[in-house]
Amino acid sequence: MKISKTRGLVAALFAAVTVVAPGASIASANTEITFWSWRTEDKAFYENQMRLFEAKNPGITVKFTPYLNTEYNAIVATALTAGKGPDVIQMRPYGGMANLSDAGNFMPLTTADVPALKKLPVGILAGAQGYKDKKQYGLPYAVSALGVMYNPDILEKAGVRALPQTWAQLQIAFEKVKKAGFLPLGNAGGNGPALEQLHATIGPTFYGGTAFFNDVVAGKKTFTDKGYVASLKAVADLAKWMPANYQGIDYNTARGLFANEKAAFYIGGNYEIGYFRSLNPSITVGWFPAPKATAGAKRYVGTWADGAYAINSKTTQKVAALKLINFLGTKEFGQALVDEIAFIPTAPYVKINDPAVKEINRWRTTLGTPFLNVVGFRFESPTSSSILQPGFQKLIVGGTTPEQLAKDVQTAVASWYAPQKGKS
Amino acid sequence: MIKLFASRTFFQSVLIINSLIVLLPVFFLLNSSLRESNEFARTPFALARDPFWENYKRVWSEGEFGSYFINSLVITGGSLILILVLALGAGFVLGRYRFRGNNLIFGFILTGMLIPAKLAILPLFIQLNWMNLLDSRLGLILIYTSAALPAATFIMSGFFKSLPTDLDNAARIDGASEFKLLSKVLVPLVRPGMAIVAIYSAIPIWNDFFLPLVFLQSPEKKTLMQGLTVFFGQYASQWGVLFAGLCLAALPLVVLYLVLSEQFIKGLTAGAVKG
Amino acid sequence: MSSALRKEQNRTIGALLIPALAVIIVFTTVPALTTLSYALFSWEGFQRSTFVGFENFQKLFAYPYLDQLIAALRHNTTAFVVIMTFQTSLGLLFAYAMFRVRRGLRFYRVVVFLPVIFSLVVVGYLWQSLFDPYYGPVNQIIAGIGFPELAKPWLGDTSTALPTLMLINLWRWVGFPAIVFLAGLNAVNSEYIEAARIDGASEGQIFRRIIFPLLAPSLTIITVLTFIGAYEWFDLPFVIGGSNGSPAGATDTLALMFYRLSFGSIDSGANNVGVGSALGVLIFTLVGLGAAFGSALLRKREVEQ
Repeated sequence: MKISKTRGLVAALFAAVTVVAPGASIASANTEITFWSWRTEDKAFYENQMRLFEAKNPGITVKFTPYLNTEYNAIVATALTAGKGPDVIQMRPYGGMANLSDAGNFMPLTTADVPALKKLPVGILAGAQGYKDKKQYGLPYAVSALGVMYNPDILEKAGVRALPQTWAQLQIAFEKVKKAGFLPLGNAGGNGPALEQLHATIGPTFYGGTAFFNDVVAGKKTFTDKGYVASLKAVADLAKWMPANYQGIDYNTARGLFANEKAAFYIGGNYEIGYFRSLNPSITVGWFPAPKATAGAKRYVGTWADGAYAINSKTTQKVAALKLINFLGTKEFGQALVDEIAFIPTAPYVKINDPAVKEINRWRTTLGTPFLNVVGFRFESPTSSSILQPGFQKLIVGGTTPEQLAKDVQTAVASWYAPQKGKS
Repeated sequence: MIKLFASRTFFQSVLIINSLIVLLPVFFLLNSSLRESNEFARTPFALARDPFWENYKRVWSEGEFGSYFINSLVITGGSLILILVLALGAGFVLGRYRFRGNNLIFGFILTGMLIPAKLAILPLFIQLNWMNLLDSRLGLILIYTSAALPAATFIMSGFFKSLPTDLDNAARIDGASEFKLLSKVLVPLVRPGMAIVAIYSAIPIWNDFFLPLVFLQSPEKKTLMQGLTVFFGQYASQWGVLFAGLCLAALPLVVLYLVLSEQFIKGLTAGAVKG
Repeated sequence: MSSALRKEQNRTIGALLIPALAVIIVFTTVPALTTLSYALFSWEGFQRSTFVGFENFQKLFAYPYLDQLIAALRHNTTAFVVIMTFQTSLGLLFAYAMFRVRRGLRFYRVVVFLPVIFSLVVVGYLWQSLFDPYYGPVNQIIAGIGFPELAKPWLGDTSTALPTLMLINLWRWVGFPAIVFLAGLNAVNSEYIEAARIDGASEGQIFRRIIFPLLAPSLTIITVLTFIGAYEWFDLPFVIGGSNGSPAGATDTLALMFYRLSFGSIDSGANNVGVGSALGVLIFTLVGLGAAFGSALLRKREVEQ
């Protein structure tokens, strides 16, 4: 007991010396911290930023390692569960992250340690909190917003003068585009998650957006609600505007159809814009919020926190890891992230220069509604997403009905989500 | 009709058709790797009349392909040696000796084929951490050896079993020890089995990226396929570069096979047992 | 057997068998048993919680997992039957053709085996582009030869996705049985064949009576490896259809389902280690019993012949 106390004292002294006297010989010993991510596409950006961080924090070097996204969950879960893993780690908020934070794998972050947390909106912070203890485990850095992207040149050629405000007007616009010889909609059915995002874009106006979200979360309404079934049917109705053989067209080909200016519309998240531009730098992408179901309905923009930085609770480099997290929360870093990768920043103090991102964010702040599956029901298996993703692929080829799919989701969620237990 | 089926012309045409089915997709791969990405997106199946070597330069300058290549070679080669040595021994004992428990042990080894390392990754990681074998090429070699050994033993024991028992007795009468019998008399005769084991084990090890992703963190220890996974994300929209990367990754094994195939086939035939 | 020889043999058994067994036990058996033991616990994310007996198995045999399980099992079984039938007989055909031809033999031997050495990532990307319903040459060729109505989204249609996947599997793997059979054929003593020919036996008779029985050991190896491979089919479906067996679970397999349940996925979230491990137990038992039964049966027939 006594020994450990002495040891603790020595360690504290040691740490104090390190912090107080960065020029001292002890501190010049180099600290290396590791930083993992699933964003292989942003490798160059992060490596560049880490050099900036190192320049500002002499004595710390950061090793940034991006992993294949399809294997990221398995790799991270394995390492963290075994008590290893990196010091700083990029996570998808909500379910995947909560699973690991509930098991004590991340270090709780306080506003004293990470002042940037104070400036973030409450709804965004919630994405990186424990499902059980509601402690803050991550610093969210990006939000995503769902909407309808369009190609102004094609709309011009097809004679679509005004942007569709209602579902009916959208169908008319599709019809005109088709007559002009273009593909109305680039979206296709090869990728389950992309269909789920399509639904999360156009669906809320049918089921009543945030009010319905709150009711399902509270167990007052179920997924078999008439409005929710109608939102599923809307997805099935879009199939006729998709490219020929749409059920077999994979994610990249589908996005390529829009990027290479063959399709007039693409429904999905703002993060697609970066991909469109990388394929075709000369493309102009317009954006508007999903049209309302009927003239009397409301419009919504689906939104959620889409990425967060966390610290491994087993890290031996707590001080350096916190420095890195604070760097990732600075205005400079946030600004670079927005300018170079066109993400929507979480922090209100970052200025958006990109006109398209600016426009999206303006709509998001006024019409935002939480992405139902991600924010509400990704915490235990079977998640609503795991039923809906293959479900939509069946639905658009007539392999199931909206009513049946709604029932399937309800049964799956009711099997683990307490407020929905026993309801059908 | 039957005559046609038995004729050389028939067999020749079967093989020609198969060669086309194999080589056309491979040609597409090579062709695409020599085209500019934007051009590829517009006309994916046009010929690369004006080869765009920039793709290959890009791949080569990007990662540390040289060091990745050596690591892959060390890990695949190390595993292969260990697999062959251990499977020869175990296959010999199980295929040629009659002793109590032979079938039981054989059955036990076969169960090792039933669970791929990927499905037991969590306990494996904890165990390797405990054994101090994380981020180590040796750790990976041992996992691969263990994963390939059951099938290798199964194949080798089959080959040992098919050899006539007179061979052993003759060698023993000449005063050979059991070890000499194995190494001098039998090993040359089971070379086709060893060739099958080598090929069957080496391919999945060389091409695996999952286990290196989980177990190797140091950049200087990374394997070729592991390095390539980052590359895929980074160049998701640049088809030309992507295809060039795929070609470069496939190349070493293809070259190795082209160089060794003669020996491989010779080994298969020359050492084969006369039935 | 003399007692000296017996003693030496016992020493040899120890020296040659123990290292192999040790490696397998430490790096396969122990981790595998640990994974299987997870099935008896309830899990919160990746944290083991209480002992729950067979509750995870009950969950596995209820909605929604039961539907997935039945579909996956059906796909694995289809894969086994189809691969065994077509891949093995084509492999045998190629081997026999190579055994018979003289011209171009060296070339064919290299080409037949070429796809086997490609990485599955290469194979996956390659065939996805070839079967692409929009740009892909497969459909362009089908339409070009006058059947435009047969051009389909092969990998995206729930009715054709699995057959297409098996076709790609065939392209990649057929060289393996071909080479194994070729090795077996080369081991057949050509004097037997010559003698039979002189006796007036037809080619068909020679193949059935002389060659085929001698290929039995090769066939055993291929059958057992195909069985295990088919019931643990993972890599190709994962590369092409992702962990959900896209489209709509049409290419789902037992191993994909295990992976999904154990680790979750970045796109659909939470995992369930307990139910996943229960599935692991099921796969293990199924494949183990099948392989043991199959190899016992085949070994017995080998002996009889």
